[in-house]
Amino acid sequence: MLNLRRYLKALNPKLMTPYLFVGDCLVLLASTLLVGYLFQTLWTNEHAAKVQIRLGDKIYASYSLNQQREIHIHGKLGDAVISIAQGKVRFAKSPCTMQYCVHQGWLSQAGQAAICLPNQISLELIGAAQPYDTLNY
Amino acid sequence: MRYLIISLLLLLSSCFKEPLYHSQSYVFGTLVDISIYGETDARARLLSNQVLADFQNLHNRLHAWQPIAAGQASELGQLNAAFAHGKPMLISPDLASMLVDATKLSVQSNGLFNPAIGHLIGTWGFQRDEFSAVNIDADKISALVKAQPSMSDIVLNGHAAYSNNPSVKLDLGGYAKGYALDLAAQYLRKAQVKNALINIGGNIIAIGQHGDQPWRVGIQHPRAPTAIATLDLPDGWAIGTSGDYQRYFMRDGQRYCHIIDPRSGYPAPHTQAVTVLVPPSVHAGVLSDVASKPIFIETAENRSKAAQIFAIDHFMVVDAQSTITVSKQLAKKLHWTDAHVKFATLP
Repeated sequence: MLNLRRYLKALNPKLMTPYLFVGDCLVLLASTLLVGYLFQTLWTNEHAAKVQIRLGDKIYASYSLNQQREIHIHGKLGDAVISIAQGKVRFAKSPCTMQYCVHQGWLSQAGQAAICLPNQISLELIGAAQPYDTLNY
Repeated sequence: MRYLIISLLLLLSSCFKEPLYHSQSYVFGTLVDISIYGETDARARLLSNQVLADFQNLHNRLHAWQPIAAGQASELGQLNAAFAHGKPMLISPDLASMLVDATKLSVQSNGLFNPAIGHLIGTWGFQRDEFSAVNIDADKISALVKAQPSMSDIVLNGHAAYSNNPSVKLDLGGYAKGYALDLAAQYLRKAQVKNALINIGGNIIAIGQHGDQPWRVGIQHPRAPTAIATLDLPDGWAIGTSGDYQRYFMRDGQRYCHIIDPRSGYPAPHTQAVTVLVPPSVHAGVLSDVASKPIFIETAENRSKAAQIFAIDHFMVVDAQSTITVSKQLAKKLHWTDAHVKFATLP
């Protein structure tokens, strides 16, 4: 879009031409839009960065949500499977009768949690800023 | 400038490790979550372990169906057996005071909060760790309702308790967690802990705050794995929710939750969740557990009256149609997760 010679000229303020202001404005506009877009998608939704898995009273592990993986954990009742994919996490399989944990579905926002009481496994999503200290349910 | 850099560095270093100890454990058949702020890790761990040990002890003694060991019922189990046989039994002083307190609250609520309906709760299959859908026995349910088990049937004579009605079976599931909250808060305050947050299966009490900000609590959405709103829980305040989504089963497309209307003997059908926020008092924990029940059980037109039974000014109801109603006082304190949420405010 910008001619290189003109651009080099612009480095000398005395030779600055009005054409460059148009380009500058476009750059400014584009970057403002980009910042706005990034703010919308990355900030306001508080996407979680990782999931903390607890087994009983111990922290079992923390995983980034950026990598697809399946985690097999042996809980109080039996084997549970936790799936991570595309920034989300869920209980994929659980040995409990009522399957509440599986029905919770995908979690992606910081502060979201799924607990399997019978099997004593919990997932909690951790983000840059936690929206609350604890959950009332 | 130098001060600016120093304060920035201090700020940065405080970001890396704030003096917050956090533990989770499974007691009372639910998740217990303890946060302690401003103590060394070692001391916080010691205190939190003591609180958990006290909870476990209380849980073992008050368990409504699980024996301590093979052939040895819990203290509550033994008491229920004595009630069924019309015999008196010596009970511990703290259980006696719990029964006096629970009876007072039950009478106050006109029996909507009724820990004497253990037989009904058992019939609905909720007195099991791993429960499942049950067959509904209408005859048995109506017989259990007709027997009118009530807390005022229980007579305390010194440390001996007996029941005038053999159908009384205690289930402190709607009381014990709140009692345990008050006990833990009292213990931590006595140990000079300035800041802590205790969560027993969703019933929460706050001591002090989280650094320079109040403790912040998320209220679970009854039908989505996310918080519906958040609020600050100031020093001494407690919050509790009764929901139809923690213990329930589906049968023929209908949901049966664990909160049973003692008048009908059936699970209360018209509510998804009731949250109550309770101001500081020695019984704030108990009230956070008990006060949501009458509001949950009552129909829409009687809910404000049900809230007044225990002088609850701050409450929120999500009914079976997912309509949200919030008292004016609580509405001022809530921060909605979804900015476009629709809710009605009660005057």
